[in-house]
Amino acid sequence: MRDFIIRRLVYAIPTLIGISIITFAIARLAPGDPIRLFTFGIRDFTQADYERLLHVYGLDKPMPLQYIDWITNAVRGNFGESLIYHRESFAMLMERVPNTLVLAGAALLLQLLIGVPLGVLAAFKRGTWVDGAIRIFGVVGHAVPAFWFGLILIIVFAVQLRWLPSIGVLTVGHDQMDILDRLKHLILPSFVLALTGIANYSRILRTETLDVLAQDFVRTAHAKGLRERTVVFTHALRNALIPVVTALGGILAGLVGGALVIEQVFSWPGVGQFTFQAAIAKDYPIVQAGVMFTSTLLVISYLLRDLTYAIVDPRIKVG
Amino acid sequence: MTKRFRSLIAGFAGVVLVATACTSPGGQSESPTPEASEKPQQGGKIIQGDTSDIATMNPILVADVPSRRIVQLIYDDLIQADPKTGEPKPRLATFSVSQDGLTYSYEINAKANWSDGKPIIAQDWLTGVMAVGKSQKTVRKSLFQDIQGFLDYCTGSATSGCKGTAKTISGVKIDSSNPKKFSVTMTKVSCAAIIDLTGYVMPTQVFGKYVTDTSKDEIDTAPENSAPTVFSGPFKFGEWRKGDQIILNKNADYWQGAPNVDQYIVKIVANATAIANGLKTGELTYGTLQAKDLADMQTVQTVKITKYPSLGYTFIGWNTTSPQAPGLADKRVRQALAYGLDMDAIIKAVVFGEATAHVAHHVPVQWAYPDVTLEPYKYDKAKAQQLLKDAGWTMGSDGFLAKDGKKFTLTLSTHSDSQERTTVAQVASEQYKQIGIDAKAAPEAFQGLVTKLTTGDPVLDATIIGWSLGTEPDPYQIWHSSQIPDRAKGTTGFGFTFFKSADMDKAIEAARNPTNGDCSIATRKKNYETFNKILNDEQPYNFGYVPNALRGSQTSLQGYNPAPFAEVYNVYQWWIKQ
Repeated sequence: MRDFIIRRLVYAIPTLIGISIITFAIARLAPGDPIRLFTFGIRDFTQADYERLLHVYGLDKPMPLQYIDWITNAVRGNFGESLIYHRESFAMLMERVPNTLVLAGAALLLQLLIGVPLGVLAAFKRGTWVDGAIRIFGVVGHAVPAFWFGLILIIVFAVQLRWLPSIGVLTVGHDQMDILDRLKHLILPSFVLALTGIANYSRILRTETLDVLAQDFVRTAHAKGLRERTVVFTHALRNALIPVVTALGGILAGLVGGALVIEQVFSWPGVGQFTFQAAIAKDYPIVQAGVMFTSTLLVISYLLRDLTYAIVDPRIKVG
Repeated sequence: MTKRFRSLIAGFAGVVLVATACTSPGGQSESPTPEASEKPQQGGKIIQGDTSDIATMNPILVADVPSRRIVQLIYDDLIQADPKTGEPKPRLATFSVSQDGLTYSYEINAKANWSDGKPIIAQDWLTGVMAVGKSQKTVRKSLFQDIQGFLDYCTGSATSGCKGTAKTISGVKIDSSNPKKFSVTMTKVSCAAIIDLTGYVMPTQVFGKYVTDTSKDEIDTAPENSAPTVFSGPFKFGEWRKGDQIILNKNADYWQGAPNVDQYIVKIVANATAIANGLKTGELTYGTLQAKDLADMQTVQTVKITKYPSLGYTFIGWNTTSPQAPGLADKRVRQALAYGLDMDAIIKAVVFGEATAHVAHHVPVQWAYPDVTLEPYKYDKAKAQQLLKDAGWTMGSDGFLAKDGKKFTLTLSTHSDSQERTTVAQVASEQYKQIGIDAKAAPEAFQGLVTKLTTGDPVLDATIIGWSLGTEPDPYQIWHSSQIPDRAKGTTGFGFTFFKSADMDKAIEAARNPTNGDCSIATRKKNYETFNKILNDEQPYNFGYVPNALRGSQTSLQGYNPAPFAEVYNVYQWWIKQ
């Protein structure tokens, strides 16, 4: 197992180097010059001012040199100073990480807590109206665009009913540790973010549970006289869960990616929103730090998926 | 962050720098507000919704609108613009100008103290200017280059003229008997100086350590830039929750009187829709609205809507040297493009009527706007067609104009993040087809467009974009011939129409650096009259329209009277009605 982890970590290095080159190239080669962008229209901003700023930010060097400068500093944790905020970009990113993790974590929890039971329920109630309703929910949940659904929820629950807040992580003026207020803010965005996953899980679980229920070992378990609950939870569900774990890697990626949209809709001050805004402003250091951070998270989540895989299904050999 | 950069950049940010005034909404009746007679209630908080986080709280590093606003709330300026005219008026200091126009004398109000109790003195302004000299990241350096001795003091690249040899700025003299009095001598008369030099009063007890003889550019990364400690404005910095909110607490010792509210909080939201929603739910006290949301917001009883003409305009800039559209070089063609575009219809359809057609560079709320009648270029298809015919363009069998065998094609570029401008481009293309021009809209990313404009990329025929102007009306950076980008020399500028006129240059120079030292409004206005008349006639831009600024606020918010020149100028008088 240890060899497996080490091997996977070593494999991750070229992946991350590749990502770093692509990120750097895309950020730099896209049209637009960041200095011109944030000085556009400033009165008495001269050519000399422009050249000074270009030099200060190291943007006057050839591109490959800029990359080498950046990557050598980045491996030491220094992703460069933001062109807009004049602060270390990685530190700024880290300030927003907890918000994104809370949102993604809550969404993941909702996906599992709602999606899995729904799928199992649908399988057991196969052919009934309950099954039908869950399946329709599965299709709709998958098809509805998150930003639109988010706006609808805001209009209904925040604007009309005034039950839940629509902006940010905490009511302005409330104590930072006001957990109840934070939870209230979390409900809408985490549910919207979780929706696709809930739909996915319920669909996968339904199919898998039906498959497993039809298999010989389940019949054998029944024949042995085991209680229904033991058959379902110990034998059937454990096997049905394997594809859920497979889907987990992709779903984590979806959570991080989807968080970008949700963070925009709910003004959630997370990594996605921050990176997105930096990309528009061509604040290279933040964009690069942001993409590297989410990429690393993704690589780790795939690694975790493979490990969980091995634990859930002992037949899968680590190798 | 389209958000950030659209608001921040599509604008003449230098402008924003000096926007400190109090005027009642221009063009609207000015009846005394009912709350004027009520006694303000104490307490509560103002929560402003904004779509961008701030970048810094150091006045010399500010280059964006949200940061500038926070800086205005925590640091007072020397001078503020007059509510009605934008003329400079005293705030922290009274001022006078010498006969030759070269020396400005200031006296800071005797009552004015920092929040730590120390008096605000001349040295505090000098500290700010020295910080500009030391900073490598400021975008303001050139504003100060005309102060005597500034170039000897400042450090920077060789091309900037900064020598870094002097230990002080010789042109700034502090009265030895009164530390609140000082004078600033310029190397040449610069009419914009009074407004340009107004900010930058920084507490020496805090920032003095960054402008010592041995300091380099430490000011650029000073911790006080993101957590200031001593204040001269109505509010004190409390906390900056990055990407989420900036919390300011009232400065009970503010020299003009303590604010009525306890806190001023800027809540950062994702976009204009979130602001509208936040106003509806009561989560926000005030914020900017978009024209498309106006009808909906008018149905919300708890929200008051305030409109006033904004200090800026959206225009179509013609590239008068475009190789693809050589017709643009001819004044008659550009005039035809003005007559051939029904701007009133565009305003009605695209901007929901929340704008006014515009035909000059300066906008009506500025004192620089001419009193003479300008050609309004009312929609007149026949006149447009006649002008095009006069210019030698003849209608072909395909329904398009041609000259010397070349069809009149026109690409209207704009930035795709603005739906309004993209739609304007589409509607304008359709209208131009009616007069025989094969026009098409070409939206692209703002970042790329800005670079093309400032480097004078010949690929652009016409660009729909906007300027937001400032208190100081000097149009040098946009219209002086020296600001035309030159690709061969690698120089850049905002003169992306390539239009030049010696008479216009003369008028701009005379209003900017008059040799006789006459910076009076009357004289400058006369020069700007000449300048605007040339532009109105020559049409290097179709000057488009002046949009209305739209603000939504809770009806409980009292004393809030935003205006073209400023919004938070009287924030210490705002109060929340319980």
